[in-house]
Amino acid sequence: MLGESTIVFVALAGLFAYSFYAVLVAGQLSLGQAGFAALAAYASATLAPDPDAVGDGAALAVALVVGVVVGAVAAVVLGLPTMHLRGVFLAIATLGFAEAVRIVLLNADWSGGPQGLSVPKILEPWTAWAVLAAVAYAFWRQAPSRYGRALAAIREDELAARSTGIDVGRHRLAAFVTAGGVAGAYGVLWAYFVRLVVPSDFGFSTAIDGLVTAFVGGSTVWLGPVLGGAFLTAVPEAQRALGIEAGWVRPFLAGLLLLVVILFRPGGLASLVPRRRPRLAGAPDDGPAAAPAPETRAPAGVVASLRGVTKDYGGVHAVRGVDLELHAGEVVGLIGPNGAGKTTLVNMLCGHVPPSAGRIDVLGVDPARTPVHRVAAAGVARTFQQTRLFGRLTALENVLVGAHLTSRPTFLRRLLWLPSARRDERAALAHAGRCLERVGLGSAARTDAGALSYGDQRRLEIARALAAGPTLLVLDEPAAGMNAVEADALSTLISSLAADGLAVLLIEHDVGLVMRTCDRVVVLDFGTVLTAGPPEEVRRDARVVAAYLGAEDADDEHVTGEEAR
Amino acid sequence: MQQLLNGLSIGSIYALFAIGFTLVFGILDRLNLAHPAVFAAGALVGIELVDAAGLSVWLALPAVAVVGGLLGLVVERVAFRPLRDRPDAHFAGLIASIAMGGMLVALLQWRYGPDTRRFPAGAFPEQGYELLGARITLLQVVILAISVLLMVGLTLLVARSGLGRSMRAVAENPTAARVVGVDVERVTATTFAISAALGAVAGALFAMNVNSAQLGMGAAIELKGLAVIVVGGMGSLPGALVGGLLLGLAEVFAVQYVGSSWRDLVAFGLLFLLLVVRPQGLFGRARVREV
Repeated sequence: MLGESTIVFVALAGLFAYSFYAVLVAGQLSLGQAGFAALAAYASATLAPDPDAVGDGAALAVALVVGVVVGAVAAVVLGLPTMHLRGVFLAIATLGFAEAVRIVLLNADWSGGPQGLSVPKILEPWTAWAVLAAVAYAFWRQAPSRYGRALAAIREDELAARSTGIDVGRHRLAAFVTAGGVAGAYGVLWAYFVRLVVPSDFGFSTAIDGLVTAFVGGSTVWLGPVLGGAFLTAVPEAQRALGIEAGWVRPFLAGLLLLVVILFRPGGLASLVPRRRPRLAGAPDDGPAAAPAPETRAPAGVVASLRGVTKDYGGVHAVRGVDLELHAGEVVGLIGPNGAGKTTLVNMLCGHVPPSAGRIDVLGVDPARTPVHRVAAAGVARTFQQTRLFGRLTALENVLVGAHLTSRPTFLRRLLWLPSARRDERAALAHAGRCLERVGLGSAARTDAGALSYGDQRRLEIARALAAGPTLLVLDEPAAGMNAVEADALSTLISSLAADGLAVLLIEHDVGLVMRTCDRVVVLDFGTVLTAGPPEEVRRDARVVAAYLGAEDADDEHVTGEEAR
Repeated sequence: MQQLLNGLSIGSIYALFAIGFTLVFGILDRLNLAHPAVFAAGALVGIELVDAAGLSVWLALPAVAVVGGLLGLVVERVAFRPLRDRPDAHFAGLIASIAMGGMLVALLQWRYGPDTRRFPAGAFPEQGYELLGARITLLQVVILAISVLLMVGLTLLVARSGLGRSMRAVAENPTAARVVGVDVERVTATTFAISAALGAVAGALFAMNVNSAQLGMGAAIELKGLAVIVVGGMGSLPGALVGGLLLGLAEVFAVQYVGSSWRDLVAFGLLFLLLVVRPQGLFGRARVREV
């Protein structure tokens, strides 16, 4: 009933879709895969030995190796200058590359021009499916590995991924090179099945087909590309079988089906299959009931020092000449009216923005000259004023991403089912579970982060930061959206973290919480330090009250005395 | 000189097509890949209006614009609005618009068949002029004039009118725009309608310029449109104008100096270089990301 060519085309469509899936899981849209496939197909057609001399299997194997290597190398060459591009910019740059490749192939002498090169047909259906199965297997093993989670984190929120210590540039390039290799394999198999390598088989519409296949199948689930390939190959076959005449009806129905899938199955066809969500590893017997502190690195007295730090945006002085020292085991509160420069200061501390002047030293690194992920690796973890969670990952997965720095890479060992990989994954799960328990979210482990309440999202961010085992923890308005009971629990948690030896920098508008929790309070106003000292001193400082509460506030007449004027 | 005029004429059509692309991208941050299908629809509908209904070429153009505008509304309603709040709305909208484009081309095939179609003989004025030793037809002059007028009109609309102000507000921050009372849905739909109307007119003008129209003509110009909006800066209207004219000129001169088969390589080579060196394009603003 199913012709041989249909069976092979399903496999090839799925394989090509995997080359798009490889980058889509990391949130990248590339349209250069047709170019990689073309280069690989031409290279293997030129370099691979004659099947009559060495046998079909050997010839195809050599061709495949050549194709994968050529595809991957082309991806490195294209990826290095383009990896800083985002979204459609990357898509169009890679598309430009693919078109340039096609035009060169169309016009060069050695490539046979528009007639292309002819190659023998040596691809058996089972070989195509075996290659597809191998690729699908690799992506299946990749998804729940440290590498796979890091890619998903980059897709969901690149900046948050950076601050959990993920080297975004390297991961994006790795995903891109994977895409190049898979596309190369596709190009070779395609050539050795249709017997012909022609430029027109690797044009823009081919790239669009691959993208559509990956997306229809589901761009975040490893099974998606296979389902997409089967679906899109089956639709015209089914129409032919049903006797629908060719012409306009077939493309119209194909478009309609595609639209229906996009509109009504947001996760693609693969969303029909329930997603596996990691569970907490057998909680009670895994550790003592009094959940031990997540292991933190050796604290080192002075954790961070800022000297004369200044930040100007155009003519606006967001931060002016701030001096500050943070010590291990100490909770420092940073308060001040809106716009006082608190978040700017924290962003400089964590390496997100460089200061205009002044020196910062955090755990031996200069955040002005260090990429964000290295600052994180030095031991700085943070939460964000506006929560930046990985929305489509579960709470536990978010914390597992947070454990990127404290866990070991598992993908390659998972490919071989090595028991050590399983042990490492278990250890990471247990560690993440403890962090989640510590902020009181153990019961929400399998809920998607995006579905949590606002207060829970804030606590989840703290758990994610804790999972990195930081020496310095920066909390940017963690109590926003929490009720009084939750804020009390937060205060207790922060104190216990300091007792474990962490340095905590707490930005908060809930002055009561700051006064209860902090050992020292720094007040910023208009970018400068208004005053700093123990909470009870700061509380009595009339300038603080004036700046913070506003001198005109009628309820505060007992402090709006002579000094405030 | 002759090359310059030919380049400007074809470049103005590229610009008109690209400006529709970039308008939607600039305001909604979405790439609408149904736009090339609207381009083809504009050409084929234009030919039918002249051929079957006996309309003059110049009267057919406003009608084509209306048809294009309606198509734009449909595309927005079906392929973009339902996906607005999804986390992957960017990709989903792209794919949905590809699907819409495919369906539209299928419908065109049903109505007009797969063959190349032409305007009936005598549909255009034949006169031409000598200008500094080069020959330019009245048709080329009119094409250039219409394209430039439409683009200048659009730029003024966006810069000066109340609708334009709402558009820019939505571009900046849809939520905030809604809060201050902008009807975001209406502005979005209007943007799509204007964009598609321009795309359809560009299609009709293109068909006049070469006196032929095929189903695949949209796909052929799609890449060029993308190149133009990148070169000009995504979302920049003057950028699309300058980019379109530049591309037209580059093509014409590339044919003359490096041969027609390498023409497109020049365009894509430049595009690629520009993206790597200056991703925001010639006229685009770099976007600053804040924590």
